[in-house]
Amino acid sequence: MRISKYLKLSALLVLAGIAGCTKLTESYKTTVPGDQAAAALGPAGVGLLLTTAYNDMITPFISDQGEVFSLEENSTDESLVPTRGGDWDDNGVWRVVHNHSWNADHAQVLSVYNNLNKMNFDATNVLAFSPSKSQAAEARFLRAFSLYYLLDIYNQFPFRNPGDTLLNAPKVFSGPAAIQFIIDELNAALPDISATNGVTQGNVDACKVLLMRCYLNRGAFNNRAAPTFDDADMQQVITLGNQIISSAKYSYMPKYFGNFNRTNGNSTELIWGTASSSGLTINNPSMNTRWMMGFHYNEWSGQAPNAGWNGFSTTGDFYNSFSVGGTTHFLPADTIIDTRLGGRRLSDSLTTAMSGIKPGFLVGQQFDQKGVPLKDRKGAPLAFDPTIASNMIEAGTNLEVTGIRVAKYVPDFSVENADKYYSSNPGNWMAWMRYPEVVLMVAEAYMRQASPDPVKELALINALRTARGASAVASLPLNPTTPPPGGTSVVDDPNCILGERGRELYWESFRRTDLIRFGVFLTPWQYKPTDAPTYLIFPIPNQALAVNPNLKQNPGY
Amino acid sequence: MKRLLKRISFLFLCVSFTQLAFSQTKVISGTILDDKGGPIQGASVAVKGAKGGTTTDVSGAFSLTVSAAAKTLVISSVGYNQQEIGITDKTSVNVALVSSSQSLNDVVVIGYGTVKRKDATGSLTTVSSKEFNQGVITSPDQLLQNKVSGLEVTSNSGQPGAPTTVRIRGNSSVRGVGNPLYVVDGVILDGRDASPNVNLGNGGFGSQPESNPLLFIDPYSIADITILKDASSTAIYGSRGANGVIVITTKKGSAGAVRLEANASVGFNTGYMKKYDILSEGQFVSALTKYHLDTLSGTKNLNKGSSVNPMEDITQSNAIQNYDVAISGGNDNGKFRASFLASSTPGFLQNNKLNKYIGSFSGSYKFLDKKLSIDFSVINGHTTNHIVLASQTPGSQGDLISAALQWNPTAAYYNANGSFVNLGNGTGNPLMLLKAYNDVAEVNTVLGSISAAYKILPNLEYKFLYSINESNGTRNTNIDGFIRGFNPLDGAGEGIISSSGLTSQVFDNTLQFNTTFGENLKFTALGGFEYWKSNYENGNYGALGFNFNLNELTLLNANYTDIIQNGKTPIPPNSFKDITTEVQSYFARVDFNLKDKYYLTATFRADGSSKFGANNKYGYFPSVGAKWNIYNEDFMKDNNLFSGLALRATWGITGSQDFPAGASIDQFAFGSYNSASQVNAGNPNLKWEQTTQYDFGLDFSFLKNRFYGTFDYYNKNKTNILFQSTAIQPGPAATYWINLPGNLVNKGIEVSLGGTIVENQNFQWDLTANFATNSNLITNFYAPGTKTPLVIHTGTVDGQGVSGTLIQVITNNQPVDEYNLKQFGGYAQNGAQIVSANPSYSGNPNPGQLFGVSTTLRYKKLSLTLNGGGSSGFLIYNNTATSVTNISGINTGRNIDLNAYNSAENPNTTGVAASTRFLEDGSYFKLRNASLNYNFGNIGNYIKNLNFYVSGSNLFVITSFSGFDPEVNIDKQSGGYPSSSIEYIPYPTPRSVVVGVNFAL
Repeated sequence: MRISKYLKLSALLVLAGIAGCTKLTESYKTTVPGDQAAAALGPAGVGLLLTTAYNDMITPFISDQGEVFSLEENSTDESLVPTRGGDWDDNGVWRVVHNHSWNADHAQVLSVYNNLNKMNFDATNVLAFSPSKSQAAEARFLRAFSLYYLLDIYNQFPFRNPGDTLLNAPKVFSGPAAIQFIIDELNAALPDISATNGVTQGNVDACKVLLMRCYLNRGAFNNRAAPTFDDADMQQVITLGNQIISSAKYSYMPKYFGNFNRTNGNSTELIWGTASSSGLTINNPSMNTRWMMGFHYNEWSGQAPNAGWNGFSTTGDFYNSFSVGGTTHFLPADTIIDTRLGGRRLSDSLTTAMSGIKPGFLVGQQFDQKGVPLKDRKGAPLAFDPTIASNMIEAGTNLEVTGIRVAKYVPDFSVENADKYYSSNPGNWMAWMRYPEVVLMVAEAYMRQASPDPVKELALINALRTARGASAVASLPLNPTTPPPGGTSVVDDPNCILGERGRELYWESFRRTDLIRFGVFLTPWQYKPTDAPTYLIFPIPNQALAVNPNLKQNPGY
Repeated sequence: MKRLLKRISFLFLCVSFTQLAFSQTKVISGTILDDKGGPIQGASVAVKGAKGGTTTDVSGAFSLTVSAAAKTLVISSVGYNQQEIGITDKTSVNVALVSSSQSLNDVVVIGYGTVKRKDATGSLTTVSSKEFNQGVITSPDQLLQNKVSGLEVTSNSGQPGAPTTVRIRGNSSVRGVGNPLYVVDGVILDGRDASPNVNLGNGGFGSQPESNPLLFIDPYSIADITILKDASSTAIYGSRGANGVIVITTKKGSAGAVRLEANASVGFNTGYMKKYDILSEGQFVSALTKYHLDTLSGTKNLNKGSSVNPMEDITQSNAIQNYDVAISGGNDNGKFRASFLASSTPGFLQNNKLNKYIGSFSGSYKFLDKKLSIDFSVINGHTTNHIVLASQTPGSQGDLISAALQWNPTAAYYNANGSFVNLGNGTGNPLMLLKAYNDVAEVNTVLGSISAAYKILPNLEYKFLYSINESNGTRNTNIDGFIRGFNPLDGAGEGIISSSGLTSQVFDNTLQFNTTFGENLKFTALGGFEYWKSNYENGNYGALGFNFNLNELTLLNANYTDIIQNGKTPIPPNSFKDITTEVQSYFARVDFNLKDKYYLTATFRADGSSKFGANNKYGYFPSVGAKWNIYNEDFMKDNNLFSGLALRATWGITGSQDFPAGASIDQFAFGSYNSASQVNAGNPNLKWEQTTQYDFGLDFSFLKNRFYGTFDYYNKNKTNILFQSTAIQPGPAATYWINLPGNLVNKGIEVSLGGTIVENQNFQWDLTANFATNSNLITNFYAPGTKTPLVIHTGTVDGQGVSGTLIQVITNNQPVDEYNLKQFGGYAQNGAQIVSANPSYSGNPNPGQLFGVSTTLRYKKLSLTLNGGGSSGFLIYNNTATSVTNISGINTGRNIDLNAYNSAENPNTTGVAASTRFLEDGSYFKLRNASLNYNFGNIGNYIKNLNFYVSGSNLFVITSFSGFDPEVNIDKQSGGYPSSSIEYIPYPTPRSVVVGVNFAL
């Protein structure tokens, strides 16, 4: 009896065990495990992985104004986001970037770090899947692009080889070794990039432009407090730049804003860009943020009161850096206007006809498409006032209209409801690299080389100025020395190469790097006091520091 | 030898005398009633000390043949104190049983079995159906609010069918929701639901709260709910027991004549439980003068000359209806119960309605001389939820609630031609948002199970159970193009069709054995194997830009989702299929009971989960519990005070596998727009999270169980915390999953007390109360391999001017979600609020104390029941006041709150900032429900136990919190890290009244 009981019992337990035993291997549905990825992705897989690296550029650089754009532009005289009553304080995140009081917990500092490193990772991952020579070169170019910005912003970057385990802390490059690494990468990639790669891909000229940026900035990256420039680096800039210039593939656009409007994919100045298809949601990087972030709520009466977010502005002094030759500030005489200023005189045929919006700097009274003066939400004239509160916290009845706004990218009004104005599907392409940058880098290198050559510099500069409708200059020294007319900030001296770069490349995420290279990043400008060398680089985010002991916090944080 | 013979002959004498006595019998009959005068069916009636007996029928009547010498009857029924009554010289008795939630002979459900309460070693609380909260109940968790010490059930919204936050013994999660495991009639639920979630990016409306996963269970069909709190009770559930276990047992048929029970009720929402003070029309006009905004003219004139009250105008008071019928019956060999519920619960806001239809059928049949029993149960629930635009994550332009709060109270809603007024100040017309938004979710859920139990030997039983839980949801979301002021929907319209599905299955094999060693040692053993599998998928597609319903005056009776191809711009379709999760487990439990004085229970479970890393597929969960029943000791025999006294001590380890499937391995996926990528950093070392818990408890009752109580001290220490850690860049994502060697400790005491304060023939007063404390602390919370404390920022504050602000931290030496806020320093001379430059730790969002009280007063057939409770010792962040009704809104003609108006703040000089200004004491006491019952008893020959009631819900709340309801927890997680106690334009809580009737046939 007893024996049979236990027999039955154990027999049942065994049965129960057999009945349900499984190996517990996960059954993947929409994903595949890493070791099966190569087979599952198939022959086109490398191209799909490469696309991811390109798509990784959208978040940190385009669709979110609180990423690279904020760190590179709001930290300078070109841009700031004042607190406007109920709007835009956002726990002070914007103001601390402009007045250089950020810390290692700043949300933008963290998200830029993570997003650039995602691009770093995804580009590296391409190399683990047997890419073709050209695909490998393209991936290395994209990775170098993310590393360049990481180095520029944080002065160090982590690096993994393809296939490294992600659970271990990777090695970190910093200082001279870091910039040398990027240069070596680009030089290795350059010969392998397919000559047929077009403007939407990492192409030969784009690789050269990035190399030029590296050589030009090496002296600053290695010593941001007191940059010195090696002649050999400058010769590299000149050689690479002249290869592009003499190729005659690029020429100046008849209209400056043709580089930024809904058809800018056809620009003759475009070296590398990200495409957008007007009206298509697919593959659209949300270029609308570039105007929505600054425009007033009533900027376009057809969409008022949702025609803008009323945030990003520029400083009066920066605006005055267009006053070459001492033109009256804020109201430059129409006859000698620099077309890059846009605003009062220029219009975009379609956009202005439909909305009254003019490209460029928006200052003073704004008008609708019929020429009727616009009003703000309280019924006061919508007239942008260059004066911003010194602490960037606007108060008083005009708080909606303080600050000059910038319409560098021109809103897309190419369809009936013009819904691309506010939707994420305008036709404007993102321009990463434009021909004038090459010209300006070569001109600067002529002035930074061991024996400066102002003649060659002026030839390049005046050709550019002429193309932009600005008068030629007799001389253009490197560094700023004098505030602009009516202004106080030395960095906004119109009569220098820094000033010319500002006029050509404003709001294209160059300004912080430029101010550092020209040695003026710590000098005071509007709404920013003199500050400590700490702020020449951003801190490593605390969260990143906590998990990778190879990262060293930057001094002062 | 002589002596022995004497004894034997004496024994024979006794036996023959007994036989003689039995030949003289009598019939005794009577009725057993409950404390409200209603009949109790199925109460057992037996002669004390004799075998056999009978049970009462549907009208509570019984008839029993007893020996003429029988002196005492013992009457018992689940949920009532056992009662003895003398029958000498009597042939009929009527007995009223006193209800008791703590009756020691009750059978309570534990993991994979049952136990008599007096034999349970663990800390568990059973709430039976007659103790449930009454009133408007849409999901079972509401039945329990304030009923159980240490159980915190937070309604996150006043919307019918909204999910609740359920925490047992404190906040123990640094990720996800941390809800307990639900087990329905032995079947483990997945915990997710199949109501599709839609994030409305266009228009910035964000996502609505998800649906309550227990909606498909008919609250009227629940017999009782047991909350397993300590590790001795929960460790048998292994890697899913860490957050506690809630075991729901549905009503079953009982032997006897077929019985029909019916319940019908009708109710209404009668108004706000508590209003949030915004300016009235008159105050608004005064405010315009105060802030010199009365000078604007023409269309910009902020005084529009009308008078409206939007917070009233968006509400409705349509009838709440509930109809429930159940038929049950059976005999010794088979029992069944079938029930059907139809209910319609209109929400407090217009167009919001939850309709439910739930049918369930269960049976239990015995074969092979009762050796084999087959049990089955099918529940089919269908819910239709008409959702309104009350969102948790609206963007800067808000949603319906914020529109109603901000709407200019001097502005009419309609133009002269009947079209909607658009004020153009960045806030929508609330009536337009009601009309333009049409969103219906349909969810169909089936929970079916079948089990077979075979008694191999009288004391050895094998049981097999198979169960499937399948749930499918579809949702059609429409925003009509006549909506004004919300880009890009304005003039375009949007339709989104979404669906999701959830399937989980359970196979159980258990073997139970019990025996007695000698006379005094009882032994029970349980062994089992379980296999559980779950699949989940969802997807959606939609379009933007339609040709119709662009003008509210000429509407087509069609939805965009009926003709989605009309949309000009397709919204890229999106679908997702989760990795199948499988868990297989081996478990065992042994119970020793020595002389009903000393108890020992030990459990062990080995859980293998497909989610764990390749290096740690299996987790092991032991527990042990001991109990000393002091009352049964000899030295207690002469005491007249105590009727029960026991000490308990338990220890055990439970786990959690609450992390996404696939986290342990590198995964690649195809993405949108011709891309593919690695999507995560897999961690093959992932293992179950470990919660070590110990518990000391004391159970006591005295004066014949008239007063009773329990006391517990618990300490839960969570380590190997499954944590979404910052990825070591460069990596494919911002985070990856690790086990963090920190500690998250919750400890506290729990007390529950109850008793019958007054008891006589006509009047009875029962009172129960519970109280619990909890302290919550994170320690050793360092980045892996370092001594650098981790600081995780979470708690998103939403709205214009505070984008991206995070106000809570999960960090070392602080409670979970400690507030991290800038300090508010009053107002400057010019009326600007002063806020410190940097945030600092500012207080705890987790309640330190929970309390509940419930009382019943009965006079003859009339009884009044009150249920209430609350929490204290925590802070709520009022995000509504920060960014929706702040003072700067009045500049553009938006309404503001009274607190801002009464402050020294000046709208022309101040800014918007998240600070300690909006941190408020959350302590509250809420009268959840009050019910007045009149029990007519049996009427005529057919109607049994007729009962009328009036029940009010959410009658009042006592609190200093300024928002709608201090019982609030809007999901403000950031990057997967949960938030706590943040209030942001919640769906307001209504006060409601229901009248109803129930009876049996």
